[in-house]
Amino acid sequence: MSATAVLTFEGAAFTHPGGDGVSDLDFAIAPGEAVALIGPNGAGKSTLLRGVLGLVPLTRGRMTFGRRVAAGTEAGATGATGAAADGTHADRGMVGFLPQTMEFDVDFPISLEQVVMQGRYRRLGLLRWPGRADRAAVRHALETVGLTEFAAKRFGSLSGGQRQRGLLARALAADPSLLLLDEPFNGLDQPNRDALVATLRRLKAEGVAVLVSTHDLELAREVCDRVLLVNGRQTAFGPVSDALTLSNVQRCFEGVEVEIDEHTLVVPGHEGH
Amino acid sequence: MSPADALFGAFSLPFMWRALVVMLVLSVIAGVVGVLVNLRSLEFITDGLTHAVFPGLAVGLAVGGASGVLPGAAVAALIGAVLLTWLMRSGIASDAGIAVVLTAAFSVGVIVVSKSDDYAGALETLLFGRVLTIPPSDVVPLVVVSAIALLLVALTAKQQVFRAFDAAGSRAAGNSAFALDLTLNVAVALVVVAGASTVGSLLVLALLVVPGAVARLLTGRLWLLFPLAGVFAALASWFGLAAGFAASVGAGIDLPAGSTIVAVFVVAYGVVLVGRLIRDAAVRRAQGRPTAPGEAKSSVAASGEGAA
Amino acid sequence: MTYFERAMLAAIVIGAVGGFVGCLVVLRRRTFFAQALTHGTYPGAVAAAALGVSVPLGAAAASVVLVLVMTGIARVRNQGAQVAAGIVLTGGFAAGAILAAIVPSLPVQPESLLVGSILTVTDGDILLAALVGVVALLLVVLFGRSIVFSTFDQAGFRAAGYREWPIELLVLGLTAATVVSALPAVGAILAIALIAAPAAAARIVTSTYRGMLVVAPVIGAASGVLGVLASRAFAIAAGPAIVLTATAFLVIALGGSKLRALPWRASAIPVETAEDARIA
Repeated sequence: MSATAVLTFEGAAFTHPGGDGVSDLDFAIAPGEAVALIGPNGAGKSTLLRGVLGLVPLTRGRMTFGRRVAAGTEAGATGATGAAADGTHADRGMVGFLPQTMEFDVDFPISLEQVVMQGRYRRLGLLRWPGRADRAAVRHALETVGLTEFAAKRFGSLSGGQRQRGLLARALAADPSLLLLDEPFNGLDQPNRDALVATLRRLKAEGVAVLVSTHDLELAREVCDRVLLVNGRQTAFGPVSDALTLSNVQRCFEGVEVEIDEHTLVVPGHEGH
Repeated sequence: MSPADALFGAFSLPFMWRALVVMLVLSVIAGVVGVLVNLRSLEFITDGLTHAVFPGLAVGLAVGGASGVLPGAAVAALIGAVLLTWLMRSGIASDAGIAVVLTAAFSVGVIVVSKSDDYAGALETLLFGRVLTIPPSDVVPLVVVSAIALLLVALTAKQQVFRAFDAAGSRAAGNSAFALDLTLNVAVALVVVAGASTVGSLLVLALLVVPGAVARLLTGRLWLLFPLAGVFAALASWFGLAAGFAASVGAGIDLPAGSTIVAVFVVAYGVVLVGRLIRDAAVRRAQGRPTAPGEAKSSVAASGEGAA
Repeated sequence: MTYFERAMLAAIVIGAVGGFVGCLVVLRRRTFFAQALTHGTYPGAVAAAALGVSVPLGAAAASVVLVLVMTGIARVRNQGAQVAAGIVLTGGFAAGAILAAIVPSLPVQPESLLVGSILTVTDGDILLAALVGVVALLLVVLFGRSIVFSTFDQAGFRAAGYREWPIELLVLGLTAATVVSALPAVGAILAIALIAAPAAAARIVTSTYRGMLVVAPVIGAASGVLGVLASRAFAIAAGPAIVLTATAFLVIALGGSKLRALPWRASAIPVETAEDARIA
């Protein structure tokens, strides 16, 4: 794949200690490119995202992130942080991650901008405290997601949609070259959806690579350049118009009745948009 | 005895001055560490550590006399911190199991103490401390132990808060949950060791729990919690020592110093709590809103997902 | 009855009651709450001893106050159940220490209130424990299903239209009563072991809550009896001996079941704590 790709997989697999995971990963994401990650629930989308973060061991093949190359081994689980078997893993300072859910205490005495500042901690390391550059990055991230006026408010007092945007700002504060989003569109109303789409477009223009798991096909067509279909293993990868076909999706969802309508994947038993 | 005599004059006496210095250092550091205990909801684990230290105190006393207490406590505290951190994270033991193991450790300590010549006296000292009779040679080790605890917390403070707020996010960002937990538990254990000789091994829990709780009542601003806890702890320690002095020297009632200090901590907490409740009620009445206790937990999105 | 026979009888009754009610405590994850009660009722015990009345009675009076204070603090925003337990535990214990120091001549040694003195247990203590046991049995027979439902599926329980607080009050009251009845045997500091260990061991060994309610009292009684015998055999204090015996049962149960599946790696399972247990 192109030498300027942000993230590259070659014959890679991530495997949980329990045995399941996702395999046959062979794709690459270039800067400014967005890839939609589509597949049945529980079939490896979250595993893939967490594997990039180093939370799930890389057991086969190679993952190249930026300048770092990780090679998978049979060794299985590698310790509390789940770093890749040979010790090198993605420099998480360059990755932003928006999780699907977050458990927290609404009364926790922390403001939105303090939460966003947590995204800078990786760069700061253990001993340093935030400086002017960090505060500027936090301000910029809040502007990107449109939450500047809420900066000093307690995080727990924000609405659900605002909290999600706040967490996105945290992911962006690290000034990532790669942004991972785990089903960010679940349960979002239209205005929040549009805002998220606009943010992703802006990020792409700035050169950030995006990997977003979703059931929302309109999003995939609108924002993403390529599509990655996953069901325990990679079943298809390519430009949206080529790879996002009914037959590919049906093969990926394996026996589950699927319909593609204009906007969404209607999969019985799964949360469609 | 006038208040001024108790609050100021008393400390011209060397043993009172020594007690004050030790209490100020210990309680301020305990208060600061206690903010993290509060944010992480580790009050229970901390209570466990206070019980785990006791056999170390007992064995140290039996083997090395008075000078063996601190090292004995330190060894037990560190073993306890490592064991508890591992138990916490491996999910083997529920809180019931942890409580049992620690009570068993405590029982071993009781048996060791019961074999000594002065069973009642030794038990009394180990349980309730001897802040007024701390030998001068103990002051420096106590301060050093407390300072190490403070250092551990100060170095990892922002990561500890991050983990307290969003454990999954902290892991995703590359922080080792085990390292952070162990660091905090060791810091708490060291505070327990230092506190055991002042207010006693069980009551040191108050030094770790109360200031943080008071700070939460006073402010919603994260980094203000630490100085507020420290200031509260210092004032309460000062008042506690003064009150004990006033009672024994002024009124002839010989109160145990460590317990008196803890009593002042708890009463002061009550005062702040009541004050806060009154203020909240007044605010609510002014705004015409009904009362409602808040929900403790919340999720950002509705759908749940298992840990990868 | 000789004092030793009386001690054995007390060990059986108190151990069984501790095991039985301990199941509720462990299943509802109120261990820290129970711990706060054991330490916090110390002043009540001291006051009762000073006044010459039954020690469990004083402790019971103190426990009423403590339960009210704990539930009150737990409901305050930004405080919570763990803070509440910590405050009550230390505040009560300090008050007890102060009381024990200033009372001119305490008829009992403070140590016996702290670590128990089963060899000097009275018929009244045994009767009290038996009474608590009978009441507990009755309440569990009558309300067991509701208790289990609300414990395992709080949301579903509420959705089905039931109210939480009667169940909570019931369990809290039983816990307090059991703590109080265990004091003569093992004292304030060690009582938690008799409440938590047999139930925790039973939980590992059986797979249903009914099984727990049967096995835990047996383990509790056995711990009591074996502990008293061990105390005589090895010339050690009875309270700690009982605790160590109960712990041994738990360790054996743990070892037997978990040795093969020991997770040497960290899992994502958090520690169950009373923090989760919001009182409705």
